[in-house]
Amino acid sequence: MKYLGHVVDHLRKDLRLEWRSRDSINGMLFFVLLIVVVFSIAFDPAGYPTTTRQISGGILWVGILFASITALNQSWTREQRNQVLEAQRMAPSPASALFLGKALANMLFVLVVEAVLAPIFVIFFNLQVLGNAWLLALILPLGTWALVVNGTFFAALGLRARNRELLLPLLLLPISLPAILMMVQATTGVLTADLDPIQIRTWITQLAGYDVIYTTVCILLFETVLNSE
Amino acid sequence: MARSSVLRSTAWLWLLATVAVLVVGFRQAIFVAPTEATMGNLQRIFYYHVPHAILGLVFPYINLVASLGFLYWRRRDPLKALTADALAVASAEVTVLYVGICLGSGMLWGKPAWGIWWAWDPRLTTALILWLIYVSYLLLRRFSPAGQIGVLAAVLAVFAAIDVPIVYMSIRWWRTQHPAPVFGGGPDSGIDPAMMPAFLWNLAGWAMWGIFLIAFRFALERRRQIAEQDAALQAIEASLETPQ
Amino acid sequence: MTWKTFFDFSTMAHRHLVFVYVGVWALQGGYLAWTAWNWRRIRSPRS
Repeated sequence: MKYLGHVVDHLRKDLRLEWRSRDSINGMLFFVLLIVVVFSIAFDPAGYPTTTRQISGGILWVGILFASITALNQSWTREQRNQVLEAQRMAPSPASALFLGKALANMLFVLVVEAVLAPIFVIFFNLQVLGNAWLLALILPLGTWALVVNGTFFAALGLRARNRELLLPLLLLPISLPAILMMVQATTGVLTADLDPIQIRTWITQLAGYDVIYTTVCILLFETVLNSE
Repeated sequence: MARSSVLRSTAWLWLLATVAVLVVGFRQAIFVAPTEATMGNLQRIFYYHVPHAILGLVFPYINLVASLGFLYWRRRDPLKALTADALAVASAEVTVLYVGICLGSGMLWGKPAWGIWWAWDPRLTTALILWLIYVSYLLLRRFSPAGQIGVLAAVLAVFAAIDVPIVYMSIRWWRTQHPAPVFGGGPDSGIDPAMMPAFLWNLAGWAMWGIFLIAFRFALERRRQIAEQDAALQAIEASLETPQ
Repeated sequence: MTWKTFFDFSTMAHRHLVFVYVGVWALQGGYLAWTAWNWRRIRSPRS
């Protein structure tokens, strides 16, 4: 229980810091709106309605991916000012609690952005969900967590690297490719109703498995990364 | 110093033996093995493509073992950890080399055989993602600050090794759903026994070559590490000699 | 095959066969050469 207490403390700290300036959220929201517009110009939903429905899952997730990378990149910078990171290392709470708190905070930010993005997306792309829309409420968080948990970890990995902002997508994307495949296939399956429920369920199960495996690995290895100097 | 000259002789002998095996393999592949019925002489590409593909799946595990060794020895025995790190980078570079060759030769086979340079089939896609993951590993090593390279790279190696089976399973399920042309039904799906000698000679030759490359790159990395330590020691001694 | 038919460049299939074999030697040899060059460059520390 104490562990959860630590996690919640870290989470509240990040949320409070973000609430004070709201830089990250505002930036992400506007960025995501711009992405939807760019994709609309690029993929012409009015001109090719069937095709865009078939690729809409992919477009949605690419948009979320770009938005999360912008958030993740600066999620550790507030720990670098005023030598906060040294203080974190010396704190008695386990390092993984810091990681989980931050990952959960990032998750909340991206979910808020998704909640705003999804309706805009539906409007601009004239989307009608042909399958079971409630499944999306399961797929979106699972997929987002897959990106956020690894993203938060790799952002910490590259903390002292030169070219830190470039390094995050270079590390995150290859490792996340199977997860991206799973979330896009599941989302497209629901949106187009081309896949039958068993296939969609398999993708969702795989995605959940990916989440469990990588959350465990991140929690186990975060202490090593925090104390890597 | 007798030990290093024994190592040198062994290395040269191994290299000679490897080249000999590769020459035999070449002769077997081009001149001895029968021409395949459907694909003709183009099929001879497999004698180079498949060994590289197989070995490209083996070398990442050397990297994994070395990385785990590094993480284990990091606080317990720093010198052993340094050696493990050298093996990790050597095996990662050779992995990128072998998987890259596998991809390139696969594409060069695919264009005349299927008319397309690339198909998102399970094997080729898995190989591509494997290649991307280990390239990102090498990039992390390049971008990390000097003191942290070993740890950060070892942690990423664990992520990478866990990802490889996940990638394979997910891509295979994807392609069960949406079949695409399969590149290389491959000699492992019923190879003509007359082709086995060529395949085995090349597999052995490229395996020996890969081991040689890893060992050589490992020795180079150790040399670089020791040179760095000596330079650091000299800098410290020089600063001590400076009159206060 | 014979040496003559190996170096026959008339069809794409034959060209690609040669590209693969030559390319593999070039890449593998190139990596070996790079490693060897660095081996020379970083002087042996103890001798």
